[in-house]
Amino acid sequence: MTLQECYEAMGSDYTGVLGRLRSERLIQKFVLKFLDDPSYALLCQSMADGDAETAFRASHTIKGVCQNLGFTKLGQSSHDLTEALRSGGGPEAEALLERVKADYAETADAIRRYAGQ
Amino acid sequence: MAKGKILIVDDSEMNRSILADMLEDEYEIVEAEDGLQAVELLREQSGEISLVLLDIVMPNLDGFGVLMAMGQNGWIEDVPVIMISSESGSDQVAAAYDLGVTDFISRPFDALVVRRRVVNTLILYAKQKRLMGMVEEQIRETERQSGLMIGILSHIVEFRNGESGLHILHVRRLTEFLLRALLRKTDRYALSDGDVTRISIGSALHDIGKIVIDESILNKPGKLTDEEFTVMKTHAMKGAEMLDALEGQQNDPLVRTAYEICRWHHERYDGRGYPDGLKGDKIPIAAQVVALADVYDALTSPRVYKAPIPHERALEMIADGQCGTFNPLLLECLAENAELIRQELADGESGEAMLHRESENIVRQSIRAATGAAGSVSDRTLRLLDWERMKNDFFSAMTGEIQFEYVASPSMLIMGAWGAQTLGVEETIMDPSRDERLREVLGEDGWGQMSWEMRQTTPEQPTVSYDSLMTYNGQTRWHRIMLQTIWTTDTPPRFEGALGKAVDIHDTHVKLAALENKATRDHLTGLLNRAAAKERIQERSGACACGSRTALAVFDLDGFKSANDSRGHQFGDRVLKTVAERLVRSVRSSDVTCRAGGDEFMLFLECKTDLEKTVDRIFHSLCGDFEGYYISVTMGVALSETVGSDFEEMFKAADAALYAAKRAGKGRYFFYDESMRDTLAADREKQSGGQQR
Repeated sequence: MTLQECYEAMGSDYTGVLGRLRSERLIQKFVLKFLDDPSYALLCQSMADGDAETAFRASHTIKGVCQNLGFTKLGQSSHDLTEALRSGGGPEAEALLERVKADYAETADAIRRYAGQ
Repeated sequence: MAKGKILIVDDSEMNRSILADMLEDEYEIVEAEDGLQAVELLREQSGEISLVLLDIVMPNLDGFGVLMAMGQNGWIEDVPVIMISSESGSDQVAAAYDLGVTDFISRPFDALVVRRRVVNTLILYAKQKRLMGMVEEQIRETERQSGLMIGILSHIVEFRNGESGLHILHVRRLTEFLLRALLRKTDRYALSDGDVTRISIGSALHDIGKIVIDESILNKPGKLTDEEFTVMKTHAMKGAEMLDALEGQQNDPLVRTAYEICRWHHERYDGRGYPDGLKGDKIPIAAQVVALADVYDALTSPRVYKAPIPHERALEMIADGQCGTFNPLLLECLAENAELIRQELADGESGEAMLHRESENIVRQSIRAATGAAGSVSDRTLRLLDWERMKNDFFSAMTGEIQFEYVASPSMLIMGAWGAQTLGVEETIMDPSRDERLREVLGEDGWGQMSWEMRQTTPEQPTVSYDSLMTYNGQTRWHRIMLQTIWTTDTPPRFEGALGKAVDIHDTHVKLAALENKATRDHLTGLLNRAAAKERIQERSGACACGSRTALAVFDLDGFKSANDSRGHQFGDRVLKTVAERLVRSVRSSDVTCRAGGDEFMLFLECKTDLEKTVDRIFHSLCGDFEGYYISVTMGVALSETVGSDFEEMFKAADAALYAAKRAGKGRYFFYDESMRDTLAADREKQSGGQQR
């Protein structure tokens, strides 16, 4: 599996990110580091605790990282969640969290497969 | 060029390392994971960080908080900030610009854009700083130099003329004064601020033509013969010719003005002056004003051929036309501002006067050098003074002492060259109370304190020393300032000024403070120890002996020993700390709190109206659960109204009340009363060996 195929598997735009970061080595390095970022765990935990403020920051961080790495799909769902949490959360946020979880799983899965080979 | 240092502030490690990767080849990178860390780093390394990349949404302190802190500390002026954000709301962008942000980078990052923005911002800042520095430096240097050159030139003339060294300065100040008065009175002469300055500077050159006049005529004590006077009169035209012969400079506005002044400052308003016999406003206004200023100062100053004439008499003579005829408007200006003019010329010292003195000194020294006249007393004195000055500078640089002199009137602080350079202030500071740079060094009220300290001295007790913080070279350190005031020999003596020095005692000071802290504090709880508390309480009772109420309470913890035994000493220590914290929280900072030893505490309250209620509140705030252990205390309280305000008496009574409370069943507080007096002393002795406290 190439890095490009990995991006395709997670519904994201490889050409775009290569245009910006300009180095396959750099992209590879950060993609592999993505799973170590604690923000996702923090998001799930703070949502479970009903701590909307921390959840907002965690979601905001995921969104920022995704934007930088060109993870389009997860970037979009975490963006929507961030906006919902900015105004305090509620049932809408819960639904959006499920989408983030699904997209994160898909992204993580693709990265693991890419890393595993 | 050294590698610039960039501070990256973002709560996501991923985002920080993406940015760091893009920039680390060319810059040194420091990272902060939230706003508080960023502010901390800026404080520690201010002056080293050349740019900040700043995220907005962060825990603890967000990007806006960092910007505000940078604004409050003045860092924002020196350190450019580029904001990183996916927030594109224009409100936020506007707010960020208002707080001093230089640029924005939006997510997702583009490596090329990030690098370019960083480089551009750094270049822009560096260029701006350099340009500002250059312009400032140039202006200052040009002003200083031209002032100095003109000063030197005109003093050469003065020395030859045997005029008082102040003539040039007086003419110059009077010229400016009269011009401003004239402009207030009429719009007949269209003169800009620049023109006024030029005319006053040019006025210093009015007599340069005298350099070619023979000294025997120039300094002749008696009246000049007609022939001699004819020679004398040529000085006006000669001066003008000298200026006109300046290669390539003839059309410089200052030279033109000076030309007018030289050539026509002996013309008369009625047309009967020399050399050209110009009449009325055919005479340039610059020359008219200088002519009047020249005459006034010549009358009121001593000359080889005459004594000085008093101010009032001089004004009368001019008004009567005994010294020539002048523009009536100018005569009005002179008459209307007579008193102000007298003061203006009498109050000698100003920045200008300093410059004047500087150039006068240069002339004196070069004349000495040229004539080789080394024998006179004043030369010797001057050389000795120079020698002393060099010696002082050398020693103060060696010992790190900052030495200074203060002159009371006019208020002026004179630093040694080394001291001035070290502190980054002028060697001569006129009106120190208003000097911005001195304020930065001494702090907001530093000069106020120094003046106050000087006023506390007397001719019999002229020395004083005190400790104060001083800031320079980017550091704030404790200094000991030592002053010796100087008084006149009049009766009564007048305060003339002071000699002083400041010595860095920071390390000793800090060490002493730490030692003092160690000696007075219980190191587990940070409360005062018994000896220090006693001292403090005695001070307090002394200070508020005016019938205010005080209370002394002693208490210990119920069952502390068993808690210590069953849960260990570390737990016991935490219990003690918690009690101390609860105690400190429930009293005012002016109250005295103390751990007397073991689990025994002491508390001293003063000036409360309802002491009983306060004691009750404090007692209850101490009790309560701590990690499964219920903290309960027993307390005895003595009131000053019952036992007086002597510390030992209060302590004994409080201790007796504590004992009574224990006997009544712990977990309570008792106020001391007379009934406890006798029984207690005896009981106490019986018990003292047996009870573990």
